[in-house]
Amino acid sequence: MHRIFSFFLFALLSLNFASASSVYHEQLVLQPLPLSALLASFNFRSSTALSAFEAHNFRFFPRSLGQILQHADTRELHLRFTLGRWDAESWGARPWDGAREGGTGVELWAWLEAETDEEADQKWLTLTNALSGLFCASLNFIDGTRTTRPVMSFQPEGDHPNSTVNNMHLLYGVLPHEVVCTENLTPFLKLLPCKSKAGIATLLDGHKLFDASWQSMAIDVRPVCPDGQGCRLEIEQTIDMVLDIERSKRPRDNPIPRPAPGHELKCDTSKPYHADDTCFPADYSTSQDWSLSQLFGKTIERPCPLTDPGVPPVCLNVPDSRTVFVSHGVVEKKNPDGMSRCFDIPPEVDFNLSLPGPEQKEGEEGNGQIEVTSDLVKSKTPLLYAERSFTGHGQERGGVQTMLRNPSPDNEVEFIYMESLPWFMRIYLHTMDARIEGSYGHNSSNSLIEEVYYRPALDRARGTQLEVRMRIPPASTVFLTYDFEKSILRYTEYPPDANRGFDVAAAVITILNSDKSSPRFAAYNLRTTSLLCSLPTPDFSMPYNVIIFTSTAIALAFGGMFNILVRRFVAADEGPESNLKAAGQRLKGRLATLFERLRNKRAGVVAEKQPAPAPQ
Amino acid sequence: MDGGKVTPGRTMALLAGASVLRLAMFTLLPGLPDLLAGRVEISTPVTSFKRLQEGLFLYNHNVSPYDGGVYHQAPLLLPLFSLLPSFAAFPLATYMLYIGADLLSARALLRIAGSGEAGESALFASPRREKRASGLVVAALFLFNPFTIASCVGRSTGVFTTCAILHAIARAVSGAPLGAMVALSFAAYLSMYPLLLLPPLLLLCYDRQLSKHATQSLTQFATTHLAVAAGVLAALFWMSFLVAGSWEFLPSTYGVQLTLSDLAPNVGLWWYFFVEMFDSFRSFFLAVFWLHLSCYVGGLTVRLRRQPLAVLTLLLGIFAVFKPYPSISDTSLFLALVPLYRHVVPLMRYTFVVAAVIMYATFLGPAFYHLWIYAGSGNANFFYAITLVWGLGQSLLVCDLTFAVLRDEWEVERPEMVGKEIRQI
Repeated sequence: MHRIFSFFLFALLSLNFASASSVYHEQLVLQPLPLSALLASFNFRSSTALSAFEAHNFRFFPRSLGQILQHADTRELHLRFTLGRWDAESWGARPWDGAREGGTGVELWAWLEAETDEEADQKWLTLTNALSGLFCASLNFIDGTRTTRPVMSFQPEGDHPNSTVNNMHLLYGVLPHEVVCTENLTPFLKLLPCKSKAGIATLLDGHKLFDASWQSMAIDVRPVCPDGQGCRLEIEQTIDMVLDIERSKRPRDNPIPRPAPGHELKCDTSKPYHADDTCFPADYSTSQDWSLSQLFGKTIERPCPLTDPGVPPVCLNVPDSRTVFVSHGVVEKKNPDGMSRCFDIPPEVDFNLSLPGPEQKEGEEGNGQIEVTSDLVKSKTPLLYAERSFTGHGQERGGVQTMLRNPSPDNEVEFIYMESLPWFMRIYLHTMDARIEGSYGHNSSNSLIEEVYYRPALDRARGTQLEVRMRIPPASTVFLTYDFEKSILRYTEYPPDANRGFDVAAAVITILNSDKSSPRFAAYNLRTTSLLCSLPTPDFSMPYNVIIFTSTAIALAFGGMFNILVRRFVAADEGPESNLKAAGQRLKGRLATLFERLRNKRAGVVAEKQPAPAPQ
Repeated sequence: MDGGKVTPGRTMALLAGASVLRLAMFTLLPGLPDLLAGRVEISTPVTSFKRLQEGLFLYNHNVSPYDGGVYHQAPLLLPLFSLLPSFAAFPLATYMLYIGADLLSARALLRIAGSGEAGESALFASPRREKRASGLVVAALFLFNPFTIASCVGRSTGVFTTCAILHAIARAVSGAPLGAMVALSFAAYLSMYPLLLLPPLLLLCYDRQLSKHATQSLTQFATTHLAVAAGVLAALFWMSFLVAGSWEFLPSTYGVQLTLSDLAPNVGLWWYFFVEMFDSFRSFFLAVFWLHLSCYVGGLTVRLRRQPLAVLTLLLGIFAVFKPYPSISDTSLFLALVPLYRHVVPLMRYTFVVAAVIMYATFLGPAFYHLWIYAGSGNANFFYAITLVWGLGQSLLVCDLTFAVLRDEWEVERPEMVGKEIRQI
């Protein structure tokens, strides 16, 4: 009876949602990673019928964002706030295949509907300024120099009617210097139907999120048109974070980071030099036991009542062999693959989850070695590893080297490498070179580069845009290099911390889907780290001195020349006497008469005095 | 003075020696050309060879090189260098082109020196003209001047401007005014500033025109030849338009020189001044600097009407100091013409000071630049101070030469004043 009732309720609820033409669900996926890291991936998705959206009925779609999108004719929007670096070597493939992350800082790209490029620029300006206010980020600094129009790297994710596709303009802006922080998280959470009052969003707290080794907040808005149903506008908000479990647990009893005492170090005892005073850190830390309340400082306070009950709010990716403790009343559902399980939280129940450390098997305890493989779900190997760095030294010129490694032993990988560089890095495209090392031998060939789209920078007007389509054979590494020159700026164009350097945005790598039948354009996305480019700096303290010195040099040259050209030659003893000389002569004459007069006077006095005693 | 006698054999030996030296520097010291091409003293934004290569690469890949901030040189250089074999595959062709340009400049100098114009022009004969330098010495001083060699090995495109200017003067002194106008139009097309040399060059052409079809009226002569120069420039611009596909090359080549939008350090006085300039006064001072640069043309042309070649020499000296993007290639052009006035050198007063200052700046400039950019132990003021010294030294040389030329002229009226102390009132 009870079951029938709940089924009925469920049917009623879903009917209700369908009639309201709006659905919402949220999910948190936890996946322990090697080296005491934990990936927490929050996903919130809501949608509304496009017709309702156009009639200003937003329901679960955030009204503040919706109005901005309508005002700027934005058909599809992607916004990213990212901090930190994804350690692909130890953590493996990125969550969502990299589709929900950006480069360090803030990244925004959108498809705007406009008749002309100028109109699109105007709408883009409106959009960035409005989003800047909404998300408390410096998005209004995305001006012409930071905006590009990528040609190959991005494709719309949503389903757009053919009538609008022709008029859609893709604009891409990036702010690598932006520091993502709590003031960006708060407006992000405000867009959620349950805010951070209920559901998995209660775990999100600025102190924890921005303490993570890597975090990425994403907002994606796109229209989706499932077959046979009306089109819907979908907003997906994603937060991915990699927590350092040890660091997150630390504030409990020891908030100040300090070296662990010797007996608490986890050492690799198999090393030959292992002794009481030498320790090689063990590859795998045993601190894989954690609970949600320890990591996030709180538990999930009851599920969000608006969420679709068909989607379990919390999932955990660990093998079935491991024991997991959850709060009373929570239903655990193991997935058939044996590598993950999900939890349904009944209404009005606080959810906590605790994962004890892996059980150590008998006999292994002696050498302290712990087997990793069976306790963790092994991450997929990414399709490509990418590292980008500067070469050269000095503040005059340099080079950029990107190391792209295809780890697959038998599949080649085709991708698009995109850079949007600031205008003061003048790149020399003719020096671009792709060098390959690996199973196909060492050679330098441009056959790796299939297509290049290049839009050079214009001083103070626009940045460089470089898109390269490349193909890397299996098990090889390609070094993509090019040279650039650093230009010196006007002294007012430097930021107050000029000697810190200028941030250069991450390169965007889009690996193309080799399966052409699939609707997805990109099989995998990744971003390199951003770079810090130091420019030559003038002396900021002496504009007046420079103006004075240079003007003096010019005045000396001009004055000397003018003098020589204008004045007449005469012999040294000819011509009228110069004013100075005449004045000198006059002065001399006057002094002479003065002296003469004085002498005469004195002589007179003496002459007067002398006759006085004469009568005696 | 037999050592300076110009014979075909000696000329050939000189040119061969100069080209062998350059070729040896290109081929035997493989790192040197790129090192010199990267020096700010040689490569300015408007003459850099690396930027030329970038422009060429973009041009060959159908990207407009003028729709970017790197290439600011004349459009016709692009098809010229595309016709050459690729620099990466066959650098010798490029080397030969630059060596050839230097040799042509030396040949033009030989002709200028051979004409004796410096000592005896149409309206004036110097009492000291017997002591003039032989053409061979003048050419040798140009070809073996370290500044010339460095510009050639650094493949600055200023080399072509130098060649065009020297050819314009050589055509003028040999009585071919049309050739002079064409050559000067080429120079102006490549670097813009040679346009300011037009008035004295017209006078030089007028003075040296051949008697058989001489035009009597200066106005008529000037109008015809200005029209020729304008026509050649128009044709060059039209060809550039065909090459570049649009007129956007004008703001990118000449506009950059007028507005100094690229503030790359160089040996001139402009870059640091406009780095430190307050934004509201930028346009005003740009106008003042250009006005200052062009104000010498009228004064010198009028005052030294009887010696137009001296006006050209002095103007080139002034441009080498005060133009927007000067390099040592401009200095080498000025220093190439100075030996023509060997006969007035005894009248100069500061030769030792000038030589010492120029040597001082030559050696300390690169050192201070290194301290600023690479070592980080000095700041921008170090290099700026050296550019000030360099500019002052050169302007002192120009002033001193002006003085000597004027005194030489004056002594024709007052032959009894030779060797006496004089003053100016």
